[in-house]
Amino acid sequence: MATTTASVSISSGDLIPGSNLSINASSTLMKAGLTTGLTQVESGVISLALDTDSKLGPLATEMSGDVHDIASWLYICNKATDDTHYMDFGIHNTNMGRLYAGDWMFIPWNASDDDAAIEVEAKIAAQTIEYAFFNSNFILTADAG
Amino acid sequence: MATLTPTLTLNSADAFSDVVNFSITDDLTTKAPSQSLSTIVADTTGANNIIVAANDDKQTWVFIRHTGKAADGTTDTANHCDIEITGDVAAGTLKPGEFCFFPFCGNGASKGVQLQAVSASVTMEYAYWSDNTAQ
Repeated sequence: MATTTASVSISSGDLIPGSNLSINASSTLMKAGLTTGLTQVESGVISLALDTDSKLGPLATEMSGDVHDIASWLYICNKATDDTHYMDFGIHNTNMGRLYAGDWMFIPWNASDDDAAIEVEAKIAAQTIEYAFFNSNFILTADAG
Repeated sequence: MATLTPTLTLNSADAFSDVVNFSITDDLTTKAPSQSLSTIVADTTGANNIIVAANDDKQTWVFIRHTGKAADGTTDTANHCDIEITGDVAAGTLKPGEFCFFPFCGNGASKGVQLQAVSASVTMEYAYWSDNTAQ
């Protein structure tokens, strides 16, 4: 069993006058039962062609049926260095947000069905991203709908 | 205008045959609107728990954490909570104690972010910051 720990700190000295912001959180990435660590990892660096929709990782396309609905985590960092370059990302064919040069994100991902692939698309210019998936083969509790 | 500095650290001694241990940080420029660290009891209807309203394409950074507490404040280690785009588009699930940090913008679709407890109401913590710049 692998033990992977994720920690985040968010700080600001000038967001609120007289009050520094300091948020800290940490968790161990677990399978659905919260007692066993995630066991599957995929990581790498890939190039995204301009304006070309790409699905991240083999997990996005090779799972079927209930196997989709597993505990998964995704880290992405846009390694672009030009401030105007960004990549869009989305799920269920719905755009969620964009990562500009140097920005990163860390999200849970429910690949609940065939349409739930994480999709990424470079804008302005081709870009390179760094990513890591952490996931399990343990099916989550059904969505409440 | 303010500067927000988020830092992520991932480490594992046994996920790979080599040790994983890295940190990445960023400097984000933020403007109004922002929502300071807040709590919400999320029930099983996502539309009741919209934490980021449709923002007309503003780049917004969102932090969400499952507090591991039930609606009454007692410890809850069982019930999950989905992170959704408004309109019930599920993106991921937070289990008790877990967190996420991501950029969000409706990209012309007038979308926001909502929370939907999977089985029973849970207490969630969240905050967001915007750069108020149309995307």
